[in-house]
Amino acid sequence: MAALTFTSSRFGTVEVEPDAVIEFPRGLIGLGGSRFALLGEESDAIVWLHSVEDPDLALPVASPWSFFPDYAVDLSDDEAARLGISSPDEARVLVVVRVGETAKECYANLKAPILVAGGQGHQVLNEADAPLRAPLVPEA
Amino acid sequence: MLQLTRKPGETIVIGDNIRVSVIQIAGGAVRIGIDAPRDVSIYREEIWDAVKSENAAAAAAPQSLPEGLSGGPTSGPAAG
Repeated sequence: MAALTFTSSRFGTVEVEPDAVIEFPRGLIGLGGSRFALLGEESDAIVWLHSVEDPDLALPVASPWSFFPDYAVDLSDDEAARLGISSPDEARVLVVVRVGETAKECYANLKAPILVAGGQGHQVLNEADAPLRAPLVPEA
Repeated sequence: MLQLTRKPGETIVIGDNIRVSVIQIAGGAVRIGIDAPRDVSIYREEIWDAVKSENAAAAAAPQSLPEGLSGGPTSGPAAG
């Protein structure tokens, strides 16, 4: 398959494999968007969830366990059914990162993780008690 | 805003697929039941507002991330 090319206001012209596109049937909460791709290296702590349709729409995201080893996602039955999974373990989990000027000013949203399964992404509410804004780097 | 008066056990129908029922009124709070198609997201407003605001703040990030947290495009998608 031919690579998919899209424009990014941050990164210029970007090329991804078509099967790397993640469909978000409901978009991101309050932001919309319907098709995204992850940009970055596997070794990066933070990668970009970038819209392939809107050059401006991109959010830094991270695997929560890189920063919060004890993190757990508790899904409602309705959400699990919507995703077609029986447990969050069956999905790839990402958390949105609000970045500041330094690593100490970066926060992860553990309350509304993004679950990716079967080529679809959904931003869900974590039923577990989890903060909307957890410092990425613990206070020294 | 449309305002309707309903008693516990009564329902409001929105379109063909959404039903909102008043289940119970107790102690100044109303318990509401909602039947809606799966593609309709339902949130408590304050949570929706808070997540929207976090998403918007995250989406305002500049291209370069703080030292030690690098991320950016390569010729392919992030693996994993």
